[in-house]
Amino acid sequence: MGDTRRYDQKGDQMKLVDIDSVSKCYNRVKVLDNISLDINEGERTVILGPSGCGKTTILRLIAGFIAPDTGGISIAGELVSRNGRIIKPPEQRNLGMVFQDLALWPHLSVKGNIEFGLKAKGLPKIERKQRIREILKLVGMAGYADRKPGELSGGQQQRVALARALALEPRVLLMDEPLSSLDLELNVRLRKEILRLQEKLGFAMVYVTHDRDEAFDIAMRVVSMKQGRIDHVRTVTPCGDKDA
Amino acid sequence: MLLLVIGLLPILSMLAKSVIVDGRLSLASYGGLLTSAHQWTLMGHSLALSSLVTALTIAFGVPLGILLGKTDLPFRRFFTVIFVIPLLIPPYIIAVSWFDLLGREGLLAYFLGVSATRVTARFLFGLPGCAAVLFSIFLPIPMLLTIIFLRTINPRLEEAGRLVSRWRGVMKGITIPLILPGVLLSAMLVFLLSFGEFSVPNFLRYNVFPVESFTQFSAFYNFKAATAAAVPLAVVTLVVLLTEAAFLRERTYQLRPSPEVRRLPPVELGSYRKWLLGLVMILGFVMVILPVIVLIVQSAGTKAYIEALGWAGDSLLRSILYAVIGATLLTFFGFFTGYLIQTKALSCWRSVDSLTIFLFALPSTVIGIGLISLWNTPWTNFIYSTPVIILLGYLAKYTALTSRISVTQLAQIPSSMEEAAQVAGAGWFRRLGFIVAPLARRGLLAGWLVGYIFSLRDTGITMLVYPAGHETLPIRIFTLMANGSPQLIAALCMVMITATLLPAGILWVIPGVMTRKVIR
Repeated sequence: MGDTRRYDQKGDQMKLVDIDSVSKCYNRVKVLDNISLDINEGERTVILGPSGCGKTTILRLIAGFIAPDTGGISIAGELVSRNGRIIKPPEQRNLGMVFQDLALWPHLSVKGNIEFGLKAKGLPKIERKQRIREILKLVGMAGYADRKPGELSGGQQQRVALARALALEPRVLLMDEPLSSLDLELNVRLRKEILRLQEKLGFAMVYVTHDRDEAFDIAMRVVSMKQGRIDHVRTVTPCGDKDA
Repeated sequence: MLLLVIGLLPILSMLAKSVIVDGRLSLASYGGLLTSAHQWTLMGHSLALSSLVTALTIAFGVPLGILLGKTDLPFRRFFTVIFVIPLLIPPYIIAVSWFDLLGREGLLAYFLGVSATRVTARFLFGLPGCAAVLFSIFLPIPMLLTIIFLRTINPRLEEAGRLVSRWRGVMKGITIPLILPGVLLSAMLVFLLSFGEFSVPNFLRYNVFPVESFTQFSAFYNFKAATAAAVPLAVVTLVVLLTEAAFLRERTYQLRPSPEVRRLPPVELGSYRKWLLGLVMILGFVMVILPVIVLIVQSAGTKAYIEALGWAGDSLLRSILYAVIGATLLTFFGFFTGYLIQTKALSCWRSVDSLTIFLFALPSTVIGIGLISLWNTPWTNFIYSTPVIILLGYLAKYTALTSRISVTQLAQIPSSMEEAAQVAGAGWFRRLGFIVAPLARRGLLAGWLVGYIFSLRDTGITMLVYPAGHETLPIRIFTLMANGSPQLIAALCMVMITATLLPAGILWVIPGVMTRKVIR
């Protein structure tokens, strides 16, 4: 797969998300302990770890559903949350997210699911229509615009969730174990599909999984987590991975 | 089987007797039903009243449910409890209270003079007054169902919306469409309950079908005319329930709390918070606090209470006794019915569920007349002439409540719990008694409480079937309303409110009893 990372004039990677000394507790249990992590433009970062290690919490913090108890998070150089306070709400962060259970709205058609965000952003009808057509074509779901999520197979639902997340051309795509419920064959097929889309569109991606093979198949960088802390970070190169 | 005997058989017996005249099949009792202008007026009144009450409760109850279930409005739990109170006490008590305030000899007349109350009394007696009183009684139904349905939404669906839209957009495009089945279900329930309500229209002199049915039976003892007036009620109930079954049933079966423990933080109201708090406080004061204050003022002094207990102390004790027995029977019966529905143990589980809902939605007067029709025979007098007939009425009418509570509770218990006991060799009764029931104890307790409250507040069935010397407190108050002193009636109403809310209050303050636990 090609390198989609972007570099500044000095040759440094362009930082998009900056997680700075973040801690988070749920019911007095510390789920994240002083985490610092950068997500760079066009980079595929995979957060790998067992259940309960805090990887989904990192995604929810970036998305803005929760605020860090201590520490801060910046997106594109702008502080979005700090010390228990959400400064920029989720809808102003220009992020896309694919949830573990996909969270497709069951009462809306495929088209309606994609159109919801485009409408909220105030895009005119003609543009919305065109964007829906393009994105459905991109994920191979062109003929399914009027179907309801319940009428689709697991793989098709996955593609619709991707299309919905990408329709607004997000700076970062957050993916919370999106393939965990699929069988291995479909999982591998969709992995390739995700990589193809990321390469074509060039968005930064933060992908959460507990599956080591999946992680190294997708990542440019693998962040391993253990009990709420970053255990180590590895950069994945075509010749093999190396510690950062 | 028991449900068929105590619920459906009385209705069928009532219908059969109404079409048999002098031993021959005849529709004479129904002759005037379609041709009489009086009957059409009654139907018009009934439909106007229930439609108006439904529209008002949905218009206020759904936004109120969203405010209390979804936002950062202060004192949300307190307001939820406050708004539920009118639903828990006999409906006519609210009517009595408004009469004590707005009537020609009410408190308003004391302060502003009799002339001022001419307008208010005219408002109170008739459609607007009836609708306003029933609105305050049934407002908690859409409010509570909205709160419950909001909890069934997978938070991820809203989070996916929050990534691209503000809360207002998420509410409009995602949350409200997802809770629409709950809103429609509450609209149906309010419509049917106000359609079958007789004590408030009877007190406020607005002639509707249930009043006609009750009057034909109790004043003229014209059983066939009473049945003929009850049949349209049963038909409308059936039509509405069939519509619900066709369009909503599958969706409302999914009424389960979302397994997600971590929910989205409440919607921040920002600068609207204090204004909305003010509006909710005003609504709560006018709908709930003011009627109670009026009763307290009207009954002020120990004299009224001593007189009240002297008049109705025996009825109070009887009421509590019947309510305790009724609640206990309802809890057991509702639990078994709920278990059958939840586990789909019998192929007819859907029919059992539909029958309980049908009986709950059926006006009390119809059930009362049905019970008389079936049990008032020389062979069954041992039931009809004892309080057992009242308990049968409670079981027929309120099993839906306790069975639905059980279904909700049982749905949260993983089936593996019972399967593990089965593998260990435990029989059905042992599994139910030692595994399922203890795990569902909160649901059983909640069911008992709901059974107690609804048995205690029951007026419609008890009024028709109570044996001589066995009248309950609501019946004593209802009969005193015609000629008792306002102070005495107000004191009795306060005693009734206390008896209704006391067990709930006791359970509320015992730590851990009513708090929710998730079984994983």
